[in-house]
Amino acid sequence: MAEAARERRGVGVELTGVSKTYNGQGVLRGVDLVVEAGELLAIVGQSGTGKSVLLRQIIGLEQVDAGQITVGGIALERYRATPHEEKSFRVAMVFQNAALLGSLTVGENVGLRLRERGRQSEAEIAAIIHRVLEQVELAGTEAKLPSELSGGMRKRVAIARALAIDPELILYDEPTADLDPLLTEQIGQLILRIRDARGTTQIVVTHNLPLARAIADRIAVLAEGRIAECLTPAELPHARHPLTRAFLRASALEA
Amino acid sequence: MAVEALPRSPRANPFARIGATLLDVLQVLGEATSLFLASVRSISAAPADRRRFVVQMVRVGTDTLWIGALLSLFVGMVLVVQAAEQVRDVTQDILGPIVGLAMTKELGPVLMAFLLAGRAGSAMAAELGSMTVYDEINALRTMDIDPVRFLVVPRFLAATIALPILILYADFIGVWGGAAVVSLDPAITITVNMYFDRMLEWVHFSDFVVGMLKGTIFGMIASIVPCTFGLRTRGGTEGIATSTTAAVVWSFILILVFDFLIVRITFALD
Repeated sequence: MAEAARERRGVGVELTGVSKTYNGQGVLRGVDLVVEAGELLAIVGQSGTGKSVLLRQIIGLEQVDAGQITVGGIALERYRATPHEEKSFRVAMVFQNAALLGSLTVGENVGLRLRERGRQSEAEIAAIIHRVLEQVELAGTEAKLPSELSGGMRKRVAIARALAIDPELILYDEPTADLDPLLTEQIGQLILRIRDARGTTQIVVTHNLPLARAIADRIAVLAEGRIAECLTPAELPHARHPLTRAFLRASALEA
Repeated sequence: MAVEALPRSPRANPFARIGATLLDVLQVLGEATSLFLASVRSISAAPADRRRFVVQMVRVGTDTLWIGALLSLFVGMVLVVQAAEQVRDVTQDILGPIVGLAMTKELGPVLMAFLLAGRAGSAMAAELGSMTVYDEINALRTMDIDPVRFLVVPRFLAATIALPILILYADFIGVWGGAAVVSLDPAITITVNMYFDRMLEWVHFSDFVVGMLKGTIFGMIASIVPCTFGLRTRGGTEGIATSTTAAVVWSFILILVFDFLIVRITFALD
């Protein structure tokens, strides 16, 4: 059932030789990565190694210096240039600090893109807002301002905002940063539910290896600007790259 | 042991510093100009954003209305006291024209523009700066929502429309502030009627037009410059503070530069 949903909803992502330099310093140095449609991929790596930069390249917030990115088989530049109404699939991103607009209520934040498109009635938009907030277990918070919510709730509202547009690809930038283990598990469960219910392709950037292990179909390790290795959670104990092994040791210590 | 001299940073060279500053100035001017053009291009979408426009109008109004009234009142009063002393041995008949012309053509527009840039403008820079730093602008971009249309145009329109109205309001209060001094100060020998009669002889409709023209242009500056600095904010809280201060300073400078240009052009056309 979940497999069928994945085939129906997700889009694949392919990165070939993606490089990015800031102030003469190479952050990404030829990243090659294939994410299958409907897959839940976690990208782990040390802080400051370009994980977030990689997500920003995939969604087109920043341009790659070299290499190519295709989403759903379409070159990213072509996808970004396509008028919104003509896009055959949608991509959403959940930012590390949720990035909710502080002057808008939760309901307005979640329904923002739908209202801006202006193609649905207010009643339809309200129904979608209610439905996605229910999915993230925040029904009834529509009238609250983001400042009235806890960090974990804000993250879930950000996920609801992503879900509201019914995307085929969701990118998460450190979705559990600054959250306690219980809230981390809650977010992890939510990401899994989205995969199972919708089959949406999801890329989760995190430095939380236990989370990645618990939810991801595959884990890509980013080191020195490249994907050092890409493993399933089952293959993880046999990882060969020193960084992956260091991560494993550190998470074992934490446990 | 000989100590090797550290290589001098290019910024330590005064010429390099001047060059870098000049490049920064050109970059800010370029960004502000391109934001202005993008805002003008996006104005056609404004009717769909009525609510955001009204919110900004109310903000601009509430930020400047009371302090603007106080400022104009005292400027009008001080003008009369100062001018009365200067022209004591000639004639105080010209007090009305002095206050009327100064308020409509110069002080009303510049003071209210400074007030708008200092209060509403700094709030715009801080708000957009915070939205930039905390990825809210990027979140809009990922939702295919143009930040210029969504955030800048309502502020741009609100300031551009509100400032001429605020100037008329400041002119009115400033002129009545002057009238209050004329009626109460024993050192002033003319009557309030004479003050207004002479003012109406000298102040023409074209003077109001110049004031309104200045208001429109200053309103554009007092919104576009803060929005430019807000959108180019980098770094955390410190970056927001730096952007906000720079936005106010740049707005003041550009308002004065454009004030000079408008005065020169209008005198040349007379």
